[in-house]
Parts: sequence; C-alpha cells; structure tokens
Amino acid sequence: MDKAFLRLIEVTKRYGERVIVDRVSLDVAGGEFVALLGPSGCGKTTTLRLIAGLETPDSGEIWIGDKQVAAEGRNLVAPNARGIGFVFQDLALWPHLTVAGSLDFVLACAKVPKRERTKRITEVLRLVRIERFAGSHPGQLSGGEQQRAALARALIGGPRLLLLDEPMSSLDADLKTDLLMELAGLQRSLGVTALYVTHDQAEARALTQRIVSMREGRIEQAGFAGEPVNEFVTHSEHEKTEII
Amino acid sequence: MRTAAKTVPRRAFMWPSARAVILGAAAILFVGICVLPTVYMFGVSFAGVDGSFSFYHYRQLLLDPRERDLLLNTALLGTGTAALATIIGAPLGLLLARADLPVKRFLRLALVVPLVIPPYILGLAWIYIGGSAGVLARVLGHDLLSHWTYSLTGAVITLSIGFYPLAMLATEAAARRVDAQLEEAGLMVTRPLRVLRRITLPLVAPSIASSALVIFVLALSEFGVPGLLRVPVFTTEVFTAFAALYDFGAATALAVPLLVVALIAGVAVKLLVGKRMITTRRSTHSGLALPLGGWRALTIGSVVVVLFLSVGLPLTVLAIEAGRVERIVFAIRTSSEAIANSIFLATIGATLIVALAVLLGYGQARARTRLRGLVDLVFIVVFAVPSTVVGIGLINLWNRPGLPGEVYKSTAIIVIAYLARFVPVGALILAASVRQMPVSSEESAEVAGAGWLRSFARIVLPQIPNGLAAAWVVAFILAFGELGATVLVTPPGESTLPVRIYTMIANTPSSEVAALALMQVGVIIIPLALLGVLARGTRLKW
Repeated sequence: MDKAFLRLIEVTKRYGERVIVDRVSLDVAGGEFVALLGPSGCGKTTTLRLIAGLETPDSGEIWIGDKQVAAEGRNLVAPNARGIGFVFQDLALWPHLTVAGSLDFVLACAKVPKRERTKRITEVLRLVRIERFAGSHPGQLSGGEQQRAALARALIGGPRLLLLDEPMSSLDADLKTDLLMELAGLQRSLGVTALYVTHDQAEARALTQRIVSMREGRIEQAGFAGEPVNEFVTHSEHEKTEII
Repeated sequence: MRTAAKTVPRRAFMWPSARAVILGAAAILFVGICVLPTVYMFGVSFAGVDGSFSFYHYRQLLLDPRERDLLLNTALLGTGTAALATIIGAPLGLLLARADLPVKRFLRLALVVPLVIPPYILGLAWIYIGGSAGVLARVLGHDLLSHWTYSLTGAVITLSIGFYPLAMLATEAAARRVDAQLEEAGLMVTRPLRVLRRITLPLVAPSIASSALVIFVLALSEFGVPGLLRVPVFTTEVFTAFAALYDFGAATALAVPLLVVALIAGVAVKLLVGKRMITTRRSTHSGLALPLGGWRALTIGSVVVVLFLSVGLPLTVLAIEAGRVERIVFAIRTSSEAIANSIFLATIGATLIVALAVLLGYGQARARTRLRGLVDLVFIVVFAVPSTVVGIGLINLWNRPGLPGEVYKSTAIIVIAYLARFVPVGALILAASVRQMPVSSEESAEVAGAGWLRSFARIVLPQIPNGLAAAWVVAFILAFGELGATVLVTPPGESTLPVRIYTMIANTPSSEVAALALMQVGVIIIPLALLGVLARGTRLKW
C-alpha cells in the first residue's frame, strides 16, 4: 500500500476520564473496502464519527485524500466538506421528507442545479433499485427499502469515502446476506473507498477485502479477509458466507 | 380477570372485579361532574326561543351584527394570542434545548413564572403600567398608552405573556426528543444553521403547532383579562348577561357559540397531537448545538428583556403599588376570609382532582388502543370548554330544588367547578406517568397473587410520585387562580381570592388590590418551589 487515501495517525478521543479511541493509526487505500470489527463499546463507532467530523479528536491527525481534516485537537474541515457519505446505524432517514425529497435536499445543499438534480436522483435510485419509492416517506418503506434509501442518500453526493455504521443490524439474516452482496458489488463498481463498522465477523468477511479488529479503543489486528482473526471473533459464526 | 371469564363455559354470573367497579365509578363521577354541564349546554344550543329544536342560536351567531362582532373579537383574541405567544415562546424553547446559555436551569424556571401567575394579575399589572393613572402616564406627564392598554391589542399582549411558557416548554421538549442522528445526517451535507432550519424545525413544528392550538383554546376561555381591559368577547358577555342583567337565557345563548368554537379547537388539538411524527431519540449523542456565534450577546440580551417584561416589571409594579408592608398586612387582614376560603377550597379541590384523575389517567393509559384515543379526545375537549360556559352549565344543572340545590347554595359548588374544569388536566398528566411504567410491573404483581387494589396501591402509585406531585401542584395553581367559573357559581356572602380581587378592582384603592394580587402570587410560588425541591435530581416531564 504505497499511498493511503484515508489515514489516521495516533488518533485519540476521550470522554472525561475514559479513553474511547486510543492512539489509533490506520491506512486505507483508495478504492479499498475495509471492515472495522469489534465488540460493542470498543470505540469503532467513535472512530467512524471522528473520520466524519461528528466528533473532535483530542489528539492525532486525520487525512482524507491529500487534505488534513483534523489535527491538534481540532477539526479543520467541516463534515459536509469532507466528501463523505455516511450510513447511520439507525439509518436516520428524515421522516418529514420523501425519498426523492431527501436526495434533492442533499444535492441542493451541494448547490447542484435543479435540472441535473432530477437526473441524478433517478440514476441513484435505479442504482439501489428503489425507483418505485421515490415519492414515499421513510415510514412507508420496509426495512430493506429503508436501507437502500439510506444508501442512496449517502451515495448521491458522489462521495470519495463511504462510512457505514452497522447499517444492517436491524435486518434479518437472509435479507442481510442479499444486501451485503449488493453493497459489495456497488462499492467495487463505483470504486469508492469504504469503511464498514460491524460486530459481526461473518458480515465483515462476506463484504470486505480487509478486516481491522478493534478492542478497548485500540486496533488489535489488521489482516485480510479469510485470515484467522483473534480469539474474540473466532468463536462467532464464520465461513457461512463465501467471500465474493 | 378476562382470561378467567373465557374459561367459564356458560355466562355465569360473576361479581365485577374491584378494578371494574372502581374505574367504573371514577368514569361515572367524571361524566357527572365534568362532561354533563357541557353536554347540557350543547343540548341547550339547539333549543329555540320557545324551547323546541332549532338552529336559532347558530343563525343568530352568523346574522346578528353584535354577535358577529363578539365572534370576531373572540377569534382575534384567540389567534392573536396564539401567534404572539408562539413567536415569543418557540425561539426561547429552541434556545433552552440547543443553545449554550449561562444559568440555563434558572432561566427556564424564571421564564415559566408568568404561566403560574393568573392572567388577570398580569392584566392588573399592565393597567398599573399603561393605564390612564399608570406608571407611564405619571412618568411622562401625560396619558400615552391607556387607549392602547384597554384594547384588544393590550389583551393579546397580556395573555401572550401569560401563555408563551407553554409554547416554550412544548418546543424545548420536542427539540430534545429529535433523534441526534437525523441532524448528523444533515451535517454530513450542509452547515449547522441550515440543518436546524430544514431538518430540526420541521420535526419540531407539529409540537409547536399543537401548543399554539392549546394557547388558542386557553385565550378563548379567558375571562379575567378581557374583563379587566374592557374587551367585549363571549366570556365577558356571558358574565355581564348573568351578573349585571340577570338574563340567564341570554347568558346561556352567549355561552353556546363559545362552546362550539372551543369544541372544534379541542378536536383539532387532538388530531394534530395524534399525527405527530415519531422522532423519539434513540441516539445517545447530544443534539446539534445552536451556533450563536456573534449573536450570543444579542440573544442573551433578548432573553433578559423577555424576562424583565414578563416577570420583573409586573411584579415590581405590583410591589410598588402595594406599598409598605403594613399596607399589605392590612389588605390581607381585611380579606382574610376570602384568602382562607381560597386556600382551603383549592387544597380540597386539588386533592379530589388528583384522586379522580389518577384513576382516569390509569384507565386511559391501560385501555385498549381505540378506547384510549377516544378518552384522550374527551379529556382535551372537556379541558377546552371555557370557564364561563362551565359556570353557566353548572348553574343549569345544580340550581334546582332538592339535594342539588343544597350543594349549589354551599361552597361545595366551587369545588365542583374546580373539578369540572381541571380533572382532565390532571388525568392527562397522570396518564402520561402511567404510560411510562411498563405493564409487566403490574403483571408480575398479579402473577404473585396481588389483587388489583393492592397492586394499584403498592405497585402503581409508588412508581408515579412525580406525576402525582406535579398533577396536584398544577391542579392547585389552576384552582387557586380560577375566576371565570367561580365568579358565576360562588354563593352569595362567600368569596374566593380571585373573585374578591376581580370585584374590588372597580371600587377600592388600588394598593389593596395590588397587595392581594402579590399575596396570591406568593401562595402559588410556595407549592411550586416545594415541587422543585421534591423533584430535584429526578427530571420531571409535564
């Protein structure tokens, strides 16, 4: 890995006395799909939020592309200027907007002219296969459809980096497998760099090229999918899904 | 009990359960005391001059120019107050929820004070400030504002000061409920201010709208302020027809249109609250902070101005008018009977209200979904019935020979008036408390062999002490300040403090009235402070 697209250098985050993220360093190459794996409370979600700029690091540096976005305990670039698409754990679909309406809002914020917006909304809805639900409110969608709507919202701005925070945690197993396959395919065809937070090893293996495991705020092991990982994940169900 | 009934092969006679008997009795009492006066008035509204069925009153309402004027005034008072109180209150609520303000807890408490001061006392303070012999006229040397103080505008401003805390509390609560992730999703695409405007505000809007409707209903129902400021609206005309002209038929006829408007508004509140979007907070992260930036000083300044105009100025003016301590002591001594009456009746009233409301609230919270919505609607609609309409309804029902007449001639009728107006408020508060308690906690008592009564007393009640305390204090404050219904039903020779203040304003030196008003504010603040001490540490939601 000669040139990293996303780079974390000794990033630390504390809440009061508790160290949540402890000197985490991580390189992700452009176009790579990496899983951040670990039990709940290990600091993986906070790491993701630090990259997105939703939290401020206490120390360390974060680089996206050739831009330093956080350093010396400060965020240097606002979340909306980092070129990131974020899929939240609870999806966080805006209940007062339709699917198309929320996509339109994202594009309007990016100052995309009205005519082009319509075109791009149609495109991205086709990409995630929910064109039929353009006019629906989130409350009218099923779990899987909501998932796709959240993904569409994260993708429509044409992000360079896609961050996913356990977005599949509320789905049942079959639906999850299908969506994971599709997500992996999408990531490859779009060539977007992606970081996927999960506590499920099977999910991480099915999806990604590399698994980084975290524990108690630290990166424990960085390996490629298929390599044996440490003891806390080995006893979870594995080999259920083949690597694509 | 239901499961037991299923296992019995044929419909054998079964004694009704304690639960059914007690909740049924509470429901019957509620209907008799709170619902019947309104239903009676509603029935009367369809009676023509000769007593037969007709739409006479409704035709009059639209055709008679005087009634049309009253309707217009009443509507303007309601909408004006709802609008102004929301304009003041909603931004304050947003600030309290999201901005970094100094001494926030104190600010919230201080900003709520106007809500607990009876509106006519605020009206009295404004007369002292802006009236023809008021502070401003004396300072400026000539009468500048009095034509404006005694006007619809003056009434709207006074009532807005009294009711903006409702908009503030509703907005703050709603803004705190918004899931932080929804805002963070916005932050990923745009700057914080736009997120607040386009994401947060639309999510909070239904709550703001329903609080505006509640304020509209309360302003419609207000009797004291328009009475003091000589703005003819339905509530004041009802009183005049009854108390000055002794025309009971006309009073009833005037109460009817008010009832209709209030019922429509009550139904609208229910519909709006029912449709409220689910934005329950699931995320542990704190919500988006309101970036004040360079506006910080100006924002804090505006909050201080609101606080000064709504709390500091009125109370100071009352204190100045009341004069020295000896004067206050004298005023209290000469009105001691009314004061003692008020405290006694409000204490009895609040206690009975809570006793009835806890059963009704429990019944509502644990009823099946369909029934729950209906009961909720009844609570809201009964609460929307204006004070003077309740008064006229009670006179219609109770002023008849026999036992009702005996009740009507005693101060018990005042307690009944308190119950008729405020049981729904207590029931709504307590239903919310019960709903927060998992059903399983009662079911486990039932499994352990506890009967319903024991489970209610030992499991349910101990889990809702805050709700009970809040309901009692709210009921006490409302009862202690009640004017519109009591002024109509108070037996001759008896008086409550609000009634005495209201009737004294016309013909007594103002210092005595001001002293009594101050005294009334004091009595209200004490239980509130007690509640504050009790609730310290635990966070009350009401």
